[in-house]
Amino acid sequence: MSPAGQADVLCDWTKTLPFADSSFDQVRMIHIIEEVDDIFRMLGEAHRVAKPGGQVIIVTPHYTDHASYVSPAHRWHLSSFSFWFFSDQPKEYDYYAPAQYRERKVHVEMLRVWRALGIQFVVNRSRALRKFWEQYLSFVIRGKTVEWDLQVIK
Amino acid sequence: MPRILDVGCGPTKFPGSIGLDMNPNTAADVLCNLDEGGVPFRDNAFDQVRAEHVIEHVADIIGTMEEFHRVTRAGGTIFLATPHYTDYSSFRDPTHRWHLNTYSFLYFYPGGMHGRDMWYTKVRVKEVRNYVSLLRLWRALGFEFLVNHSKMFRQFWEHYLSFVIRGKLMEFTFEVIK
Repeated sequence: MSPAGQADVLCDWTKTLPFADSSFDQVRMIHIIEEVDDIFRMLGEAHRVAKPGGQVIIVTPHYTDHASYVSPAHRWHLSSFSFWFFSDQPKEYDYYAPAQYRERKVHVEMLRVWRALGIQFVVNRSRALRKFWEQYLSFVIRGKTVEWDLQVIK
Repeated sequence: MPRILDVGCGPTKFPGSIGLDMNPNTAADVLCNLDEGGVPFRDNAFDQVRAEHVIEHVADIIGTMEEFHRVTRAGGTIFLATPHYTDYSSFRDPTHRWHLNTYSFLYFYPGGMHGRDMWYTKVRVKEVRNYVSLLRLWRALGFEFLVNHSKMFRQFWEHYLSFVIRGKLMEFTFEVIK
């Protein structure tokens, strides 16, 4: 969007991505999804320009990290379950999210203290442990960033 | 027969109500987008407006409450259910725009915030019920009972405890004042 960066293509990527369908093996969205108007639309566009079986990488602050609230451009505060819609959606919701993904990996990164104590390791061991952490612990043992490795299903 | 409007009815519409949703794959009787033109009914058309898991999605809470108020008759009720901002479900849905607490609708009460009426809206409602449920562990330990049966404990919980003893679902019933 800004000519000050190293962009090869300048455009308002929050609306559409100026590429043909199934153009890329990997689409990377690092610290941008929390800023777009419409997350469904953005994930729909990433899905469109990625090849079938391709990879979409998303990194965004966890809603308990101070970074989620530092930038006034952040519209959304997300958790490690925020993209379940796209991988595990009930039928009636495909109206909102026609793009289908498979969650290959979800990883929560924590502050150094929690990492040193092994809590980050435990939380990332299973979905059930991560859910327990999200529900009961995450405002004390806070998250930092969440990383997704999503596989495009077409 | 009470006239009930179920806003954002989804696949399970409230029995006996008129369902409204923006998604055609639902039990909706009327399809519309609240953010574009409000609620397509005349003034005072309903005895109750229900909006479960809706208010956290809308672009403009004040504008939407004004619409719910407009289509509800004087003395009718507005029922809202929405996640407390300390529940992880508040942050699980990437279309949740707002993260709310049990005081978020003081804005619409007479003498609502800091003992004075708020000036961005003229809409006024009276709180009939304001219930917050907690996770199983906290309920079993009696915290849900305390939070809902003591106004003082409710405030202490919101101010001091709610990031540890986290909230889950909030249910509000408001009586419409006209």
